[in-house]
Amino acid sequence: MAAWDLSVSVEELGPDAPPLKISVTSDLHIGGVILKVVEKSQIKQDWSDHALWWEQKQQWLLKPSWTLDKCGIHADARLCLTPQHKPLRLLLPSGVTLRLRACFSSPVFRCVTGLCKLLNIRRPEELSLLWPVEEKKKKKDKDVEEELYDITRAPLPSSIIPKLANGMPAFFAETPETEAVYKMLAVSQPAPAPETIAKLYRSTNITEKAHINSRWLDSSRSLLQQGVKENDKLLLRFKYYTFHDISPQADAVRLTQLYEQARWAILLEEIECTEEEMMVFAALQYHIGKVSLTEQFVASCPAMDDLDSALQCLEVKMEGESSADDMLVSSMIYTQPKRLTLKGYKQYWFTFKDTTISYFKSKEESCKEPIQQMNLKGCEVAPDVSVAGQKFCIRLLIPGPEGMNEVYLRCEHEQQYSRWMAACRLASKGKTLADSSFSSEVQSIQSFLAMQKTTPSTNAAQTDESINTHSLVSPRYQKKYKPKQLTPRILEAYQNVAQLSLTDAIQKFLQIWQALPDFGLSYIVVRFKGCRKDEVLGIANNRLIRIDLSVGDVVKTWRYNTMRQWNVNWDIKQVAIEFDGNVNIAFSCVTADCKIVHEYIGGYIFMSTRSREQSNTLNEELFHKLTGGHEAL
Amino acid sequence: MDDIDAMFSDMLQEMDLLTQSLGEEAESAPLPKPPTIPGPQEMNFSVGFTDFNASLHDLEDNDLDALMADLVADISATEEKFATEKDTLKGSAPVAPIPSQPPSNLSFPGSSSTLRQATSSNSIAATPPPPTSKPSKEELEEQIKADKIKLALEKLKEAKVKKLVVKVEIMDGSSKTLMVDERQTVRDVIDNLFEKTHCDCNVDWSVCETNPDLQTERGFEDHENLVEPLSTWTRDTENKVLFHEKKDKYEVFRNPQNFYMWKKDKKSLKDMKEKDKEQLLEENFCGASVIVPDLEGILYLKEDGKKSWKQRYFLLRASGLYYSPKGKTKASRDLVCLVQFDNVNVYYCKEYRIKYKAPTDHCFILKHSQIQKESQYIRYLCCDDEWTMTLWVTGIRIAKYGKQLYDNYKAAVRKAAGSATWASRSIQASSSASTPSPTPKARAANGHAPQPAVETKGSSNQTSFPPPPASMETLPPPPPDPMLPPPPPAPPSTNKVNQFPPPPQFPQSSFPPPPMDDLPPPPPPPPEDSELPPDFLPPPPPIFSSCGGEALPPPPPDPIASLPPPPALQNFASAGGAPPPPPPPPPPPAPAPAASKPAGSVRKVAPPPPKRTTPQLAAPSVG
Repeated sequence: MAAWDLSVSVEELGPDAPPLKISVTSDLHIGGVILKVVEKSQIKQDWSDHALWWEQKQQWLLKPSWTLDKCGIHADARLCLTPQHKPLRLLLPSGVTLRLRACFSSPVFRCVTGLCKLLNIRRPEELSLLWPVEEKKKKKDKDVEEELYDITRAPLPSSIIPKLANGMPAFFAETPETEAVYKMLAVSQPAPAPETIAKLYRSTNITEKAHINSRWLDSSRSLLQQGVKENDKLLLRFKYYTFHDISPQADAVRLTQLYEQARWAILLEEIECTEEEMMVFAALQYHIGKVSLTEQFVASCPAMDDLDSALQCLEVKMEGESSADDMLVSSMIYTQPKRLTLKGYKQYWFTFKDTTISYFKSKEESCKEPIQQMNLKGCEVAPDVSVAGQKFCIRLLIPGPEGMNEVYLRCEHEQQYSRWMAACRLASKGKTLADSSFSSEVQSIQSFLAMQKTTPSTNAAQTDESINTHSLVSPRYQKKYKPKQLTPRILEAYQNVAQLSLTDAIQKFLQIWQALPDFGLSYIVVRFKGCRKDEVLGIANNRLIRIDLSVGDVVKTWRYNTMRQWNVNWDIKQVAIEFDGNVNIAFSCVTADCKIVHEYIGGYIFMSTRSREQSNTLNEELFHKLTGGHEAL
Repeated sequence: MDDIDAMFSDMLQEMDLLTQSLGEEAESAPLPKPPTIPGPQEMNFSVGFTDFNASLHDLEDNDLDALMADLVADISATEEKFATEKDTLKGSAPVAPIPSQPPSNLSFPGSSSTLRQATSSNSIAATPPPPTSKPSKEELEEQIKADKIKLALEKLKEAKVKKLVVKVEIMDGSSKTLMVDERQTVRDVIDNLFEKTHCDCNVDWSVCETNPDLQTERGFEDHENLVEPLSTWTRDTENKVLFHEKKDKYEVFRNPQNFYMWKKDKKSLKDMKEKDKEQLLEENFCGASVIVPDLEGILYLKEDGKKSWKQRYFLLRASGLYYSPKGKTKASRDLVCLVQFDNVNVYYCKEYRIKYKAPTDHCFILKHSQIQKESQYIRYLCCDDEWTMTLWVTGIRIAKYGKQLYDNYKAAVRKAAGSATWASRSIQASSSASTPSPTPKARAANGHAPQPAVETKGSSNQTSFPPPPASMETLPPPPPDPMLPPPPPAPPSTNKVNQFPPPPQFPQSSFPPPPMDDLPPPPPPPPEDSELPPDFLPPPPPIFSSCGGEALPPPPPDPIASLPPPPALQNFASAGGAPPPPPPPPPPPAPAPAASKPAGSVRKVAPPPPKRTTPQLAAPSVG
C-alpha cells in the first residue's frame, strides 16, 4: 500500500510552527498516527489526554483502532493533536467565575457531568452550559478585571465518586486557597450592590426571555465542535426545572447555586412576582445572607462562637434585669385611632404576660384590675417607626368578635420598642416571652432599625447589618421605594422567616419560587403551522403552553402525558407533535434552533423517568436517545 | 342525674381544698408552681348550651363518666404532685411512691373498679423502668428524681388541658353532645361522632361551624383543633357546630382535573383516567411546594363599608388573593393583594342577595376566625355560580393549608376504608345476632376515656350490648382470646370467649383482632394471666402517663359505666397526636393500626410512579 504524507499540527510546538508531516499508509490506525506524531515532535510530556481533531470536518478522531481509511482521511486532511481537556472560564449561577479544565471532546452532557463532579453538584443532568450574552463593547471599555478563581490544577474527574475530606471533595481540601474556593461555592454570595443589579437588568418582555434559550449548547455534541475555544467563557445553569431528590446534607453546593440562580432570576425579573412576594424574597435573602455569615463563622471557630453566645446570653440577662424574665412592664403611650386626635394618646402603665397585654392607669395600680386586657394571639403587628424622628410606634390589629381593634403603642426609645415589638410578634404567633426565640427576635429588630439610620451611628453597625435594602429587590422596586420605605415592608415579611435555619431559609426561598405561576417555563418564539404571526411556546416539566405574544395570555396547554409522539423535520426545521385524541400541532422555531426545543421536551421526559429508578446511575444513553436528534442515530 | 351533679360539685370543692393545701406546701418547693386546675366555670366550658348545667344534663352517661374520670384524674394528679414534691424535698426515696399495685393487678378481672385499674396501669407505665446496668446510687437517685419531675410536669400539663362540652347538630335535626379537649383534632372528633351516630363514615363527613349573624358556614379541616376556634366564640353566641356531609371537602382529590384544568371543557375531563388523576395530584401536591390552581376571573368584591359590589379581575396565587386594578395588565407586578391567607379563613355564605344585596347568592368571605359580626375587616366576595365559588374556596384552602390537606384526605380515605370493612363485617355479625347491637353508642367514649368500665362480670351489670347468642362463637374472623398476646391471628377460640359482636360502625379498623384483645375477659381468668401484662399492656407513650391518678378511689361509677373501651382507644392511637386524657389500659403505641393493616389494600391514592407516554424513542426522523 502506498505511503502518503499527512500533516498534523501540534499545539505544543507553538502557534506559528508548521504542521508536522508524517508518512502514513491508509491502513494505519489513529493510535499509530498519534504515536508517530509524538515521536516526531520530540517533546517529552504526558500525551495521554491528547487526541486528534479534524479541522475541516470539525470532528474528533477518538477511536484509536480505526484506520485512516475507515475514518475517511486522505492526504488533504488537516489534523491537529490537541489536549481533550482545556481550560474554560465557567460562570456559576452565583456570579462567581471559575477557571477550570473541561472536556472539549465528549458531548456537552458528559462534559457537564464531569464539571459537576468536580464541583460536587449532584444530578448533573439538570444543568447545562450556555453562551453568555454578548456584551456590547462600550466606548469607554473600562476593561474591568473580573475576579477569577483558578482551579485548573484539579485532577480530571474520573468515574470514581470523589472522595470527601472535611466535607468537601479531596481536591478542595488540599490547600487553604482551594478550601476557600469551595466555601464560596457552597455559601451564598453577599447581596450585590443595587447598581450591579441595575446594570445586569434588562427589559424583560417575553421575547427577551425567549432569547435566553437560544444560547444553550447542544448536549449531544462536544464543546470544540460547537466552536468553544480554550479560555472561552460559558455559563453553567440549571436548565431543567425539576430538581430531583434534594438533600441538604449532600447538596450544599447544589442548593446554594440553585438558590443563587433563583435569586438572580427574581432580582432581574426573569420571573415575575408580586410586590408581596418580592418582600418575602427580600426578607429571605437578608436572612440567608446574615445566617450564612454566622454559620461560616461557626464552621471556622466553634470556640469563639460559644463565647459569643455566652456573651449574648449575659447581655440579654442584663438587659432584662429591669423586668421579670417572662414579663415586660413599661410605661407607654396608647391610643385607639378611632378617637384619633392627638389627645387620644394617653400614657398608661403596661404589662405584658404570656400573650396578653394589660394596661393600668399607673404603676401603682398595676396590682389592681387592669383597664383592659388584650390577647395578641392571631393579631397583626406592624411597625410605624422613624429612627430619625425618634418615633417608635407599634400598630396592632387585634381580632375580636366585632372586627379588628386597632391599637397604637408608642414607645419611648429604641430599646423599649425592640423588646415590646418582639414580644408582640411572638404573641401573635401564640408564643410567649419565655420562648427561646425572644432574644434573637429583639436582635433582628434592632439590626433592622440600624439599617434605617441614615448617618453611620456611633455604635458602629456590623458589616452584615449595613445592607442596603435596595440590594434585595429588583430595580423596579428600587425605583418605586426609597430604602427607608422598603425597610419596614421587608421587616414585616422578615418576622415570619427570622427563625429559620440557613438550609430551611434556602429551601423556603426555593419553595416560594417554585410556587410562582410562571415557574419553570422556558420560552421559545415559534410560528405555528398555518399561522401568520409569531407566538410563544412555553416548555415546562409537565406541559407545553401556547402563549399569545402580544397579550401574554395562555392560549392552550398540552400535557406530556397525553403526548403520543413528537418528530423533528430537521430540513425544514419543524417540530410536529401528536397528542391523544388526534390532536396534532406543528411549529417552526424562530428564536432558537429546533434542536433546543427537541432537547427540552426530550430532556423533561428523561427527567420524569428518574423517579422510578432509585439508583444513582445516570442513564446517559437514554438521555441521548430522547434528546439527540438525527445525530444520535 | 342529680346525684351526678352533687358529686360533681363535691369533687370541685375537694379539688379546691387540695390545691390550696398544696399551694402552701409548695412555696418552699423548688418545683414549678402547683397545678392550677382550671375551674370549669372559669372558662367557656360548653358550646351550644344556655348554661353549664344544661350541658351537663345533656351529656350522655358515658360522657359524664369521662368528665368525672377527668376530674378524678385532676385531683389525683394534684395529690400525686403533692406527694412527689414532698418526696423530692425529703431527698427522694429510691422507689416512686405511687405505683403500689403490682402489674398483675391489671389483668385481674375481679377488681372492683376498673378505674383504679386504669390509673394504676398508668402510673406503672410512668415509673422508670428498672435500669439494666447497675448505675451508681447517686445516678439512680438522680434518674428517679428526674423522672418524677418529668411526671409532675406532665401532670401539670394535663391539669391545664382545656375541655369543652360541645353540642353538635346532625343533619336529621338530632344532636349529640360530646366533650372535646384542646389536644383533639377535628379528625378525632369526627371519629367520635362516627361512633355516636349511624352514618356511613365516608370521607365527606365534616364538622362545620355556622354563624347566624354573618350567615356563614365553614367546614373545619381535619387537622385543626376544635377547641381553639370555639373558644373565641362570644358567650351569647348562636353559632352552631354541625356534623354533616360536605361534598366539596375533598372533591379536589377525587377529581383534581376539575380544579387544576378548570379552563378546559368539563365534558372532556369527565372520564379522565384514574392514572392521570393520580399524576395530577402527584405533580401538584407532592413536589417541593404545593401548586395552587391557577384560578383567575371576574368576581364581585363588596366595597369597604359600602353596599355596592364591584367587579374585579381576581387571581389566586400561593401568596394570596390578588386583583388587577382598572387599566392595568394582569402582569404580576401590577397586581394588588386583597388578602394573604396566614391569618384568615374562608367561609361559605348564605343568602347574601338579601342580606348584602349581592349580585348572586354564591358568596364567600375571608376573615379572621375571631371576628363574629359584620366588620370592615371582612372581605366579601361573590361569584357568578356555585361551581366558581367551589373552585375559589377550594383553591384558597389549598393555598392556605398546602400539603396538609392532601394528608388529611389520605388519612380520611384510610379510615373510611377501614370502617367500611367493619360495617360489612358487622352486617354479617348482626345477621346472626338477634338484636342490632347498640354498642357504638355505648362505647362512645367521645374521644375520651373509655370509661373505666366495670368490666362485665357476666351479664348482670347494665351492659348495653346484647348477650351474645351462642352462634357468635363461630363468627368468622373471631376476635382472639382476649387473654392472649394480640398480634397473631386468633387462636382457636375457646368456649365463651367471643362474646362480643363487633360493633357495626367502627371507623378505621379493618383489623378486628388486635383492638379486641382487652375485651371483657371470661369469668374464670386463665391461669397464665400473671404473665400477660407486658404483652397486652405495652408501656404507653409518655404522654399517656400524664393522666393517671391513683390513691383516690374514685366514686364508683358503677350504675352507668358499662362499655368496653378498647376499640375507641385503638382509635386514638391511630389518630396520632391527640390521645385522650384519662387513659384506661393504654393502647398499643400509635403506629399499630397502620402497621397491622396492609395500607396498600385500601389506599386509593397510592401514587404510582408517573408513567409517561414516552414518545417513540426513535421519533426524530430525518425529513
